[in-house]
Amino acid sequence: MLKFFSKRIVQIVILLFIYVTIVYWLMEAMPGSFTDKYLMNPKITPEIRQNLAKQFGLDKPAFTRYLYYMKNFLKLDLGISFSYFPKKVSSLIFERLPRTVFLFVTATLVSYILGYNLGKRAAWRRGKILDKTATFVGIVFWTIFLPLLAIFNIWLFGVILKILPLNQFINPNVWRETNLSAQNIFLKLLLNAFIFLVVMMISLIFAQRVKTVAAKRTIVLLSAVVTLSVSIILWTSTGLGIYALDIILHMVLPVFTLTLYSFAGSMLVMRDTMLEVVREDYVVTAKAKGLPDRVVRDKHAARNALLPLITNFVISLGFTLSGGIITETMFSWPGLGRAYLEALNSQDTPLLIGLLVFTGIFVLLAHLIADVLYAFLDPRIRY
Amino acid sequence: MTEQSETIVQEPLWKIKLRLWLKEFKRNWALFRERKIAIFGLSVIIFFAVFGIIYPLYPTIMKNVFWKDDIISYETFTPYDPIIGFDPNIFDHPSPPSLVHPLGTDPLGRDVLSMVMYSTPREFVLGITAALITVVIGTIIGASSAYYGGVVDTFFMRLADIVMLFPSLAILMVLSAFIELTLFRLALIIGILAGFGSITIVLKAQALTVKVRPFIEAAKSTGASDAYIILKHIIPNILPLSFLYMMLNVTGAIFTEAVLSFLGLANIRMSWGVIIHMAESSGYLMGSSIGTYWWLWVPAGACITLLCSAFYFLGRGLEEIVNPRLRKR
Amino acid sequence: MLLSVKNLKMHYKTKMGYVRAVDSISFDLDSGEGLGIVGESGCGKTSVSMTILRLLPDNAEFKGGEVLFDNGNGEPVNLVSLAESEMRRYRWKGISMIFQAAMNSLNPVYKVGDQIVEAIQNHFPDTPTDVAKKKVAELFRLVGLDPTRMEQYPHQYSGGMKQRAVIAMALSCDPRIIIADEPTTALDVIVQDRILREIRAIQKKLNMAMIYISHDIAVIAEVSDRIAVMYAGKFVELADSVTIFKRPMHPYTYGLMHAFPSVTGKKVDLVTIPGEPPDLLAPPRGCRFYPRCPKGDKLCEEKDPEYVEVDKGHFLACHHPVQPGEVVQFNAE
Repeated sequence: MLKFFSKRIVQIVILLFIYVTIVYWLMEAMPGSFTDKYLMNPKITPEIRQNLAKQFGLDKPAFTRYLYYMKNFLKLDLGISFSYFPKKVSSLIFERLPRTVFLFVTATLVSYILGYNLGKRAAWRRGKILDKTATFVGIVFWTIFLPLLAIFNIWLFGVILKILPLNQFINPNVWRETNLSAQNIFLKLLLNAFIFLVVMMISLIFAQRVKTVAAKRTIVLLSAVVTLSVSIILWTSTGLGIYALDIILHMVLPVFTLTLYSFAGSMLVMRDTMLEVVREDYVVTAKAKGLPDRVVRDKHAARNALLPLITNFVISLGFTLSGGIITETMFSWPGLGRAYLEALNSQDTPLLIGLLVFTGIFVLLAHLIADVLYAFLDPRIRY
Repeated sequence: MTEQSETIVQEPLWKIKLRLWLKEFKRNWALFRERKIAIFGLSVIIFFAVFGIIYPLYPTIMKNVFWKDDIISYETFTPYDPIIGFDPNIFDHPSPPSLVHPLGTDPLGRDVLSMVMYSTPREFVLGITAALITVVIGTIIGASSAYYGGVVDTFFMRLADIVMLFPSLAILMVLSAFIELTLFRLALIIGILAGFGSITIVLKAQALTVKVRPFIEAAKSTGASDAYIILKHIIPNILPLSFLYMMLNVTGAIFTEAVLSFLGLANIRMSWGVIIHMAESSGYLMGSSIGTYWWLWVPAGACITLLCSAFYFLGRGLEEIVNPRLRKR
Repeated sequence: MLLSVKNLKMHYKTKMGYVRAVDSISFDLDSGEGLGIVGESGCGKTSVSMTILRLLPDNAEFKGGEVLFDNGNGEPVNLVSLAESEMRRYRWKGISMIFQAAMNSLNPVYKVGDQIVEAIQNHFPDTPTDVAKKKVAELFRLVGLDPTRMEQYPHQYSGGMKQRAVIAMALSCDPRIIIADEPTTALDVIVQDRILREIRAIQKKLNMAMIYISHDIAVIAEVSDRIAVMYAGKFVELADSVTIFKRPMHPYTYGLMHAFPSVTGKKVDLVTIPGEPPDLLAPPRGCRFYPRCPKGDKLCEEKDPEYVEVDKGHFLACHHPVQPGEVVQFNAE
């Protein structure tokens, strides 16, 4: 176990090192530099530009700068952003990160729960109406042009139904009267969501121990209702509720769009794996034991189809930045994807490298967590 | 007896092969036809192929129907040219769909249907070129990694790990800064990036199951060279799976191009993504304009979605032929 | 009568038509009795057991007949006409099963003991887990497994151990009948023999009825009181094991009996039956064995022989039974 993971971590470090190097030189190869942007600005004389370049270390040879970068990287320092000077890249990322994470974690959770449930039902009743519709609708949304879906949803919910705010992160009219920072409220919201998630996990684990389905359901539902109402009471009593609600309302549309777009990925994987699992003899055995249909499906078939779903989940995490670029542009959501696009336009190389490197670390860590999950889910896998 | 065997030999090998192939094809076609989803995909693809091919007819027909009395302005403004066209008879562009312009005009006065049709064959070329490159790379590397194992295998698998680390869209956006992403170059880059990625791992796994089959051992014992075994024995056996992945990769390539064009980062003069980019950058995708100027984004967006899902549907239909485990008994 | 199957018919619907896998099967089973069903692979043996327990794929269709099961209190129930939720109560508790592929009939992600506890608690919901576990430990000892292995996963078991665990699982709800479908095929011969003897001993000890299904007549002979010979979806002969061996009346049974060497008996010529079993999509009009039968004639081609009791407890479906002392010549190709 320890041997496997130490080997895996060494592997990850090497991969990360190569990745950072490639990313660095790719950015280095980009023509022009940050200072060129001021070429046409008469206020900034060549001397000042030279000074700027010196300040940013752009006068040094590329290889020296690479070594500097790597040295700083080992100290977990991603440098200073050009366009947001003198903000640090890492602080910029950590400012934007919660927004993207909140958006994607919510959408991913919803779409995986949906995909898991639809997929297992579709496979269990293969060829029936649910299977056919779910597969068809799923593939159409899975291959839909994401901006098209975003435009359509903005038009439908924002313009025609007028029930959701169009885009942006917050509504300025609501926030004009207060000096609260949106980031602050948002982080509190995030903490709230995290606590909710933890409570649900605990109640789910606890529900495993009770026998009847009704009792399981009561435990899960009860804990959900209690946590939700406690948090709502807390939010309203502090008077911050209206601001939190504003943020949540602005999140609904992007989350909905992302969920629609991505649930089919997990659903199709789940369906295909289930189709293979239901042929296994232990599924017939479970049925022969006289277990109810639902127990056979959930406890014996679906449980064994989980592994490929986890793999799919990890791969889909790599999509976060790419997906973030599209979604966040469409909904003017100030997250990592938007930051990437802005950094690209302003040639803010430290921020670009920082964002790519951060995504890389994120994905590699996810791989490691997947390995742990595999061992947890399948007793045959022991490292 | 001898006479008989001679007559058998006299039939050329290609004829026998053709017959075998036809038989196999008929069997698979019967399986394929059961999958309504795959038939749907194939029909949509054929529809778009025809749609793209008949494009040259469209301006000619329109010219003879609506511009007979005004040949001079037709010749001057070429209203059905997808790139430089302009309709001088309409004052307010973009104009809604009408008989003269079935899908309306864009802010620059170009005919939307003409732009959509003109882009169709280009999407096909892009998608299929990229997917072909991906599959050729993936198949060769997958087969060799499986066959040779050892250093070759380790190298390409670690390479795949690194390639998979890169968020492809983000990297293409960076590349767009220093490479002019023309249609063909874009296809090439998408193809190569995808080819060294996850597809090699999948195809290698498949090739590994072929490698342990007895006929490989038999071929080795007759003294066949490594290259011969890979080309003649391993690759043909993983080809169906490669073909399946090709279909799925066409979807990915068309989608990527559309997104890049939509963000205005590709150097492509006309494509479905460019049409939507045009609408967005000139501010027609804001608030209530979205519904008013629907023809600026619905046709192109629908085309991207339809063609992408068509290839995906086709791929899934093929999957049941390639992967018998998914078949219904 | 514990189990009484009457004219049971079950066909699989396919694109090419109906596959007549179970075609008018009738037999009775008494408590404490061992019935063997023998036949070539693909003749529908497994389909019979799956039809009785109603564990069939979606494309299976009942075409008639009944399965009367006596659950010990009053009127026997017809399993065929039960609702699925009712049927569930009879599975495992009434009739349990040892599957063909014991290797794969344990779910790899759960501990073996827990899988057996699950079966017990499903049928006796009031059993506390520790009581159920004690019962499993007992069963483990009965089938010759170390009870500490309950806490292990199936992949930590050897093939023979898995088979024993599956047997323990089949016994867990004290069923009245156990169907053993090729219970030992995947094992090597020595283990096979030992496990067969143990199954038989347990059956005698617990006085359970048992249906053994195998393609191997030697295996069947070892454990059954009566043997049914199945061919192409039908029973062609059923009698007590001695009769089947000493005086087979159906030419097919005769062929089977002479198709394997006897170690202790007198030297006889080994027989091979030429040809292939018929396609169950379009079986022959008359007797299904007719195309391969050396005794076949016009009558056999035209008319399917009826399955009747020719002697006390000896059922047969043949127009021209093999006479005592007759030597049937199968023309090998």
